[in-house]
Amino acid sequence: MRPVLELAAQLVRRRPPPAVGQTPAVEVHRENKMRLLRYRARPEGTAFKTPVLLVPSLINRHYVLDLMPGKSFVEHLVAQGHDVHIIDWGTPGPEDRFLTFDDITGTYLGRALKRTGESSPDGKVHVLGYCLGGTLAAIHAGAHPGRFASFVALAAPVAFHDEGLVSTWTRQEGFDLQALVDGAGNVPWQLMQAAFQMLRPTLPLAKAVSVVDKFWNDEFLDGFFALETWGNDNVSFPGQAYRQYVEELYRKDALVKDAFTLHGKPVRLSNITCPLLSITFEHDNIVPVSSAAPLLGRVGSADKERIHLPGGHVGAVVSRAASRGLWPKISAFWAKRDAR
Amino acid sequence: MAWDQFKKGFDRWENTTAEYLETVMKNRTVLEPAGKLLSAAFRARARVHGTLSGAWESLGLPTRRDQERTLHALNQLQSRLLDLEEKLDALNKKDE
Repeated sequence: MRPVLELAAQLVRRRPPPAVGQTPAVEVHRENKMRLLRYRARPEGTAFKTPVLLVPSLINRHYVLDLMPGKSFVEHLVAQGHDVHIIDWGTPGPEDRFLTFDDITGTYLGRALKRTGESSPDGKVHVLGYCLGGTLAAIHAGAHPGRFASFVALAAPVAFHDEGLVSTWTRQEGFDLQALVDGAGNVPWQLMQAAFQMLRPTLPLAKAVSVVDKFWNDEFLDGFFALETWGNDNVSFPGQAYRQYVEELYRKDALVKDAFTLHGKPVRLSNITCPLLSITFEHDNIVPVSSAAPLLGRVGSADKERIHLPGGHVGAVVSRAASRGLWPKISAFWAKRDAR
Repeated sequence: MAWDQFKKGFDRWENTTAEYLETVMKNRTVLEPAGKLLSAAFRARARVHGTLSGAWESLGLPTRRDQERTLHALNQLQSRLLDLEEKLDALNKKDE
């Protein structure tokens, strides 16, 4: 058994590192660590007038949406003729411990919207927010809805008093938030990764068994290692923003209670009147359905839809099934609502 | 065949164990001491940093926190300048 495992380990080590985030893009704006990237259009040009802005989570790398050639949501959108932009939040430095939601959601996201809107006839943008990126986009739209042509909330939490482990953990009394932020500055990604691993502690073992099971399937291994590369390439959370995140969102559930403010302006989900597509996943243990689904009932949009799909938080977005089901649905949602 | 049997058994075990561990992790008797331990560790870290910064400051030197604040202020300034540029552009366009 041992020689077989050693051989397997050697073969894995010899594999070239996965080529992630390969769709060609240019940087169109940079502010502090945030970069706004615009993907090169397909050779025949774009087919739609309204550009798309993808807002990934603050604590994960943006390239999960552009995982690898053939398994890339971005590549799919570009091929359909969308003008795609994405925010790369970058890696916060020690000085970014002072960044607040006002800076991130108000200033940086606001600027990304403006820059993206420059290529739009009416300055409006189709926005897709994934995970925490969806929360950030919802907060921005709740205060400044003007630039949103439509909003796709992809597994985006808005109600935080759920029964999930992260919610339970952050709301328990023994957890001294101020001590964490004072001591750590930015909340270390290792701590957050450990928290996510606690959601399913047996997952590493299950992954190992999957690898052994499909060891001779190169396509599976390519995708697996690309996803593992992404999963282990995390970003620390700016300290002050994390304090607000836990205090205001998890503990006070301020977003659904209309008690959150952005640059002093009240954030009301009912201010969101653009077309809305809310996407939730059945086996999402990072953003439970009960946390993402309430958005639909709280927005002021007349044109709103919800898609509920099987699968987990990441797998359902990057899998082959997603490329056949979810991605075309999102593209069609935007195509139907393109600027005239 | 043997592998398939093992895989089925493993999947069943993994599901049951994961559900059990989730219940354990959510239990207050596990969460509270873990939270307190973590908080104590970060409090100690903050105290060490505070003591070191105090010593550094007494020599009249800028502390790490001072440098972080300055860099943050520069970043804020960059954003303000970009805001101003946007406003000027908008005014210029209006004049044209």
